[in-house]
Amino acid sequence: MTETGVARDLMHSAEIKQIVRSAYAAVDSSSERLAGKLYSPQELAQVPQSAIEGALGVGNHLRHAQIDAGETLLDLGCGAGIDTVLAAQRTGPAGHVIALDFLSEMLERTKTAAAEAGLANVDALEGDIEAIPLADGSVDHVISNGVINLAPRKARVLAECARVLRPGGKLTVADLTVAEEELPPEILTHPATWAG
Amino acid sequence: MAGALTERDFVTKLERAGFTEIKILERTPMGIDDCALYPLFTPDVLDLMRTLIPPQRQQTIGTAIVVRAHLDRHDPA
Repeated sequence: MTETGVARDLMHSAEIKQIVRSAYAAVDSSSERLAGKLYSPQELAQVPQSAIEGALGVGNHLRHAQIDAGETLLDLGCGAGIDTVLAAQRTGPAGHVIALDFLSEMLERTKTAAAEAGLANVDALEGDIEAIPLADGSVDHVISNGVINLAPRKARVLAECARVLRPGGKLTVADLTVAEEELPPEILTHPATWAG
Repeated sequence: MAGALTERDFVTKLERAGFTEIKILERTPMGIDDCALYPLFTPDVLDLMRTLIPPQRQQTIGTAIVVRAHLDRHDPA
């Protein structure tokens, strides 16, 4: 499907945001099988159980992320914090990770996970990924895992990533894509498939 | 999933936002059984997907990609 396809015509932006917000607020925990599928045992050994149980990403972008010590890194849609914790360990105490999410519940989980991991270089920030509440050129690296597809305006999200990155900054993202051939309309309009 | 872009659209939007050196580093097919690992996919929607999506597509209804890019080094200021 494409953005000009059926899905875009059938759902309003505000409706999509509300569906996603409600669905993620209701999530208690995911299957440990999901984290076990995406992350190595060595990675999972470095993060608290609460973050493992809250993993909802679609890939392991950190495997490919060139994270330098001392970086200021933005985790776009941090969720329960598994990627925030792993990234913060790699930036080291000289760097820090800004964990952004539009749900205060998720930010609390990320803060708890960072504290349990003994990290003092994580800042939680509540905000919309379509209007990132950070200054221009203020971060070195943006990471995100399975979040951009949830936004009604993807171009706006990517423009915001570009705005907050310094020139030459890095973006490392895992996200879901679909084939050109669209799924049936009954599926495209089901709330669960907008949040999932 | 319903809001996901095609890979081509995703890359185009990255380019338009000013990103360069765009590389797709991983592509992992995602089927209905993979969706079932996520609590966001309720049993009723999984059943609906199994009913409405042709069997030959059920193992790859989407693809998880990992993409890396850099922001153009040109500073407009």
